[in-house]
Amino acid sequence: MSVKTTEKTKKTKSISFMLIFPVLVAVIYGVLLAIKPEQGLLALKNSGRIFLNILQPLALVFVAMLVLNLFLKPGQITRLLGKRTGIKGAMLSVVAGIVSVGPIYVWYPLLKELRKRGTGNAQIAIFLYNRAVKPFLLPMMIAYFGWVYVGILTVLTVLASITLGYVVSVLIKEKDRPGSVI
Amino acid sequence: MKIMISAEGVDLESHVAHRFGISHYMILIDSETMAFEAVPNSGATAQRGAGMQAVVFAISNDVKAVLTGYCSPAAYRQLTANGIEVFTGLSGRVGEVLEKYKKGELGKRTEDNGRLRSIARIDSASLVHALTGSTRQFANLLPMLISVVLLIGLFNTFMSKGLLSYIFSKSPVLDTLFGTCFGSIMAGNPINSYVIGAELLNYGVSLLAVTGFIIAWVTVGIVQLPAEIAALGAKFALLRNALCFALAILIAFLTMTILFLVSG
Repeated sequence: MSVKTTEKTKKTKSISFMLIFPVLVAVIYGVLLAIKPEQGLLALKNSGRIFLNILQPLALVFVAMLVLNLFLKPGQITRLLGKRTGIKGAMLSVVAGIVSVGPIYVWYPLLKELRKRGTGNAQIAIFLYNRAVKPFLLPMMIAYFGWVYVGILTVLTVLASITLGYVVSVLIKEKDRPGSVI
Repeated sequence: MKIMISAEGVDLESHVAHRFGISHYMILIDSETMAFEAVPNSGATAQRGAGMQAVVFAISNDVKAVLTGYCSPAAYRQLTANGIEVFTGLSGRVGEVLEKYKKGELGKRTEDNGRLRSIARIDSASLVHALTGSTRQFANLLPMLISVVLLIGLFNTFMSKGLLSYIFSKSPVLDTLFGTCFGSIMAGNPINSYVIGAELLNYGVSLLAVTGFIIAWVTVGIVQLPAEIAALGAKFALLRNALCFALAILIAFLTMTILFLVSG
């Protein structure tokens, strides 16, 4: 119950933040259009140009999201993060991090619970790091930076996550948690 | 094999709880050794989402079968999709129900229960469900993305290349450090970091600094740090973020080195 309440509070806070930012931008534009209409219109034109450029990759992002939602159930991610250790545990944490969706605050309470039930610090660190690799955003990233760059960055990110998991497991000892070091 | 039974009490003499999600206890039993453990159900007093909490509990405890009075269709779908057998419509004492299960006298719930079936077959209901979920996720990221694009429009109008050149000094180490710091402070969907990163490139900021920025955007969370400390502890959160900051710089340099070698 307490976990749920915390999650709800964080969600409310994040929704407020999500509203504050667009409102702030709208206010800035409102003021700008009132005092310097020419520059305000130029800023809008610049924004329109950027938005047109991202429309195509955005459509691919939606398709990739749909495919993931169709074949991946939230519970399967939790299962990947279970209590498995060693290389297999690390690899499953990598997969869980990559396929996880949604803002990070949604995951904190669940990670807290999983940790109580034996999931190691290394696995949690690996999971959090691999949230940087998002298959459904790859079309967007490739459109901007090219597939060679994206390929190199993705592989390095996964390798870095495993290194991070190892260092975390060495520096933070797992008390009363058998076999949790990767 | 581990079996989970929703129960009113803490031992095998207690009654099977009718509602899976809001039962007072979950009894976990090893069907071979008959060793059992009663765990208070954290969702017992929950207003909403109790079923899903119980599903997460079952999955994380590697349960193979759930025995209960009733479980919601949503919880049922999640359990079976994760390879857990579900037996419903049960009542009486936990020990008696367990014996019946061991003798194979219980009938499984008659709805779709095949893991393979759920993977292999895309029916219209799951398509609508996925479509709704994707639309919601997409709609959630749009307000922030549009705001970021509008902000970049402002940035393009007012920011001079001279000022950016002043901030990004063309020293690889300092540039990357600035980029990584900037990414560590910012938060939100990674898609925004790509849009901002690409615009920074247009302004002549190095790809090295932009790479540090993109990686730090997701892996280092200064804004979320209090929430991370509350959930996972100060030592873990601070160490993880510090290491991620260092790794973002390291990855930026490695990426550029490999990119240089690959593209000659």
